[in-house]
Amino acid sequence: MSSRFPAALAEPALVTPRRRRRLASRIGSRSAPYLLLLPATAVIGAVLGYPLYYMVRLSLQQYGLFQLVKHEGEWIGTRNYAQIFHDGAFWHVVVRTLGFTVAAVSLTMVLGTLIALLLAELGPKMRLLLTAGLIFVWATPVVVAVDIWRWMVDYEFGVLNWLLTFLHVGNYNHHDWFVNPWTGWAVITALVVWGAIPFVAITVFAGLTQVPRELVEAASIDGAHAWKVFRDVTVPLLKPIFVILTSLSIIWDFQVFTQVWVMLDGHPGTDYYVMSVYAYTNSFGESEYGLGSAIALVMVAILLVVSFFYIRQMVKIGEAK
Amino acid sequence: MSSGIQVAPVPVAPAPDPRGEVPRRSRRRFARRAGLNVVAAIVFLVMIFPVYWMVATGFKRGQDIFSDPPVWFPYHPTLANFADAIHRAHFWADVKNSLIIVGGVVALSLVLAFLAALALAKFGFYGRRAFIVLIIAVQMIPLNALIIPIFLVLSKANQVDKLSGVIVTYLTFVLPFTIWTLRGFMLGVPKDLEEASMVDGTTRFGAFVRILLPLVGPGLVATSIFAFIQAWNEFIMAYVLLHSPEKQTLTLWLATFSTSRGTAWGSLMAGATLTALPVVIFFVAIQRKIAFGLTAGAVRG
Amino acid sequence: MKARIIAAVVLAVGLAVAASTAAGSTRQPARAVAANEVVVWVMTDAQNGWPGALDAANNAFKQQHPGVDVNIQFQSWDSLLQKFDAALAAGTTPDVIELGNTQTTKYMAAGALSAIKAKNYPNSATWLSGLKASCSYGGKLYCVPYYAGARAVIYRKDMYAAVGVKKTPATYAQFLSTGNKLMKKFGKNRNFSAFYEPGQNWYVAMSFVKDFGGDIAVRQNGKWKAVLDSPKAVHALTVFKSMVLKFSRASKTNDEAHPYPSIPFAKSRAASFIGNGWEWPYVFDPKGGAAPKSFAAKMGAYPMPSHIKGRYMPTFLGGSDLAIPISAKNKSLGADWIKAFTGTASQRIIAKAGNIANTTTLANVNKSNPQLAPFAKAAKYSWFIPTAPNWVTVEKANVLKNMCTAILTNKGSVQSVTHKASQQITKILNAQS
Repeated sequence: MSSRFPAALAEPALVTPRRRRRLASRIGSRSAPYLLLLPATAVIGAVLGYPLYYMVRLSLQQYGLFQLVKHEGEWIGTRNYAQIFHDGAFWHVVVRTLGFTVAAVSLTMVLGTLIALLLAELGPKMRLLLTAGLIFVWATPVVVAVDIWRWMVDYEFGVLNWLLTFLHVGNYNHHDWFVNPWTGWAVITALVVWGAIPFVAITVFAGLTQVPRELVEAASIDGAHAWKVFRDVTVPLLKPIFVILTSLSIIWDFQVFTQVWVMLDGHPGTDYYVMSVYAYTNSFGESEYGLGSAIALVMVAILLVVSFFYIRQMVKIGEAK
Repeated sequence: MSSGIQVAPVPVAPAPDPRGEVPRRSRRRFARRAGLNVVAAIVFLVMIFPVYWMVATGFKRGQDIFSDPPVWFPYHPTLANFADAIHRAHFWADVKNSLIIVGGVVALSLVLAFLAALALAKFGFYGRRAFIVLIIAVQMIPLNALIIPIFLVLSKANQVDKLSGVIVTYLTFVLPFTIWTLRGFMLGVPKDLEEASMVDGTTRFGAFVRILLPLVGPGLVATSIFAFIQAWNEFIMAYVLLHSPEKQTLTLWLATFSTSRGTAWGSLMAGATLTALPVVIFFVAIQRKIAFGLTAGAVRG
Repeated sequence: MKARIIAAVVLAVGLAVAASTAAGSTRQPARAVAANEVVVWVMTDAQNGWPGALDAANNAFKQQHPGVDVNIQFQSWDSLLQKFDAALAAGTTPDVIELGNTQTTKYMAAGALSAIKAKNYPNSATWLSGLKASCSYGGKLYCVPYYAGARAVIYRKDMYAAVGVKKTPATYAQFLSTGNKLMKKFGKNRNFSAFYEPGQNWYVAMSFVKDFGGDIAVRQNGKWKAVLDSPKAVHALTVFKSMVLKFSRASKTNDEAHPYPSIPFAKSRAASFIGNGWEWPYVFDPKGGAAPKSFAAKMGAYPMPSHIKGRYMPTFLGGSDLAIPISAKNKSLGADWIKAFTGTASQRIIAKAGNIANTTTLANVNKSNPQLAPFAKAAKYSWFIPTAPNWVTVEKANVLKNMCTAILTNKGSVQSVTHKASQQITKILNAQS
């Protein structure tokens, strides 16, 4: 085994005290997990407990500005939900959001992992430089980052248009990237992926540092090809992290709002409606909180379905004890 | 390889027979290292370009900001934008408020999440599955739907217009993720490492703190950065919860640069640069600590 | 082991409590809602634009109420209504709030604002009718006009002179001929616009509609009906479309804030554009257009001429009002502060800062200021949005903006595009709330 631990640990202790202690700790450990969970649960419960209940209640009510001022909603049962499901636009929005999420999450995970692998291979100085750069990207306030990207693809003064014209790729003078939803979405997806990569890259890299070098070296000494070692040794150990990052990316990209909203100056056309934009323009933006709560719960339901596979993985991992 | 961090590298092919091949191997290694550095440099430049543009714009004179052809580098730099940003009302107070909030959120989330992740990763107990699903479901709720309900709760608890109210709110947003991720890191630690430590009689909890904690150090770094950035850059909850002018955060301060009468672009970019800097500084500070912690706990023989 | 866990938990909880109380206890006493403070929410526009008016109002208020603190909290337009809604839900509203004049109707209809009596407020007899309309609902008054803004054509004198136009266009026909001359002379440059009109600047499009006798929506049999597909409106928008396609190289999908037309104008990419009074100085602002100082002598402004001789094309009268929320704790203090801020002294300062005061008695304050006079003149013919509670929803759904883009990018005939938009608007305006 490894030279990782001081030699003292390798010596077995006396049987009896250890067994007694093990037994004691097993009994005591029945309440241990609950105690460990208590502080975090208390905080989350205190802040979100009532709001969650309140949201479910609101979703069954007519609760616009008028009701808000009166502090009393009108019970209408599932009419909010019916309104959502009978809205033709809603289903287009769901499909569009799912399509965007698949594209963004795939790109983010692949590129982020590649960069993490790159980080693992670099010398310390270069690694620090690249990591600091990634952190800087991650730390830039989202609205400002979107402003920059918006400016880069600007119709009037954008760098991208100027660059493409300069490189004779074509005449991109006064090219409007958002007239065609496909190019528009390409820009928005690039922006979202760009902002998401640092988190994935750094977290995967952190995970890579946990993989014991001995295992990797042992496998490669056996003559295994580099990719095979990665696939058979590294990936299984990193599986929990991959599953977590993917599921989180799905959740976040599904709810993306700011990038779309600010990139399109607060007036996206219907081709750019994703779930959160739809929710905002149809409910929250006009103080319709009953309908908005219903939309929010529908979004949660869709997300649970979409990420079901990953959640199941997460629950399963760590259950083999 | 003299890296300060223990890293499992993507393995290269096993070292060939050294008898007549030393020059070729070291040339190959050098070429490989150089190639990787070039790739890293390209990745760096592509990723950092928008951020570079933000910083450069902060230093540009007005007429260089919107120009055709673009001004790639501020050859006539000016500090006027930064001066304007810093001299805006309540800048230093907002810095202080942001630091307090972030400090509280990062510290508390690390402690609470570590404990909770322990429970979820290392124990089997009734309700574990439900809790895991609940934790992830909570992150699926769109924030817009929660603004008013959370405000109502905090208002009743007299936490409106208080930094503590903001800290507690941010904790709820950050905890699910941090617990979730730390659990993943813990599950990634091979079980025998933990078992070995219990042999000499340390209690299980002692094992957690002394062995597991350093091993998930990188995970703690990643999650603390996440918590930092979430708390540092959040807007809408801070805007709704904080009222007094001297209790605003830097993100709220940044929003005042855009008015309905035109945006001060240069100052906005300068202000954004100032806002992003502390995170980078925080990262550089802790990443060295973690590397040190790992080397200290590792090889000794 | 259990003991250690308990210890850790207690430590964590203790940390949390300590942090909360430490961060929560401010060095000042908690802001209790007492009668010694009036809380005011106004936009950062006042902070940056006319702080002197705020000072004047605060001083006048303090003289009237010596022991009362004025707690001004500056807001941003973007998320203001979300914050206001939250405050309304919790009953923690300010005593005075600034609302845009297109946002008031919804809040008046919902009963969120306190009813007030005009005669208690200064200059109420001479308030701008457009602003007063945005404060009236169901026969009662719910807010006080704060200030207004009008739009006029800002132009380059030297470019006009270069094509032989020495007098500013007084009719729409002259405006067209000037534009044609400009495009003939400078249009070869692909970046040049004789008249820079971003595609989603619906204020200008609607000015055309109003000028030709059309309207956005009218009230019929107790319901709203959007009439943008009426013959007059369609004619107006067809005229608008042909003008924009001939004279403007601006983006068809951007609005008048991205970029502010002042910026391409400062780079000599435009000979003229329709803008607010504050967009003139923005041309020189080093943080904005950053035009060289020499530019000043080349600039001028004139009200957009109508196709009817002797009139101006009606300009959208934007602006803000001040209201007292229904759940305000210190309503009378709020009312007194509003009186101070909308009184002649503060209004004069506000007008001089490039706005239109809320009273016609101050209409000539900027008469001798060549930079501000044209805007005050333009306000003589103005239009306003339909005073429907759901109008804010129409704006949030970007119906008019997207309609303008569709017209300008030929996504269907003007008739069909306006018909679709009208249907959408009618549906939204009549939706039950």
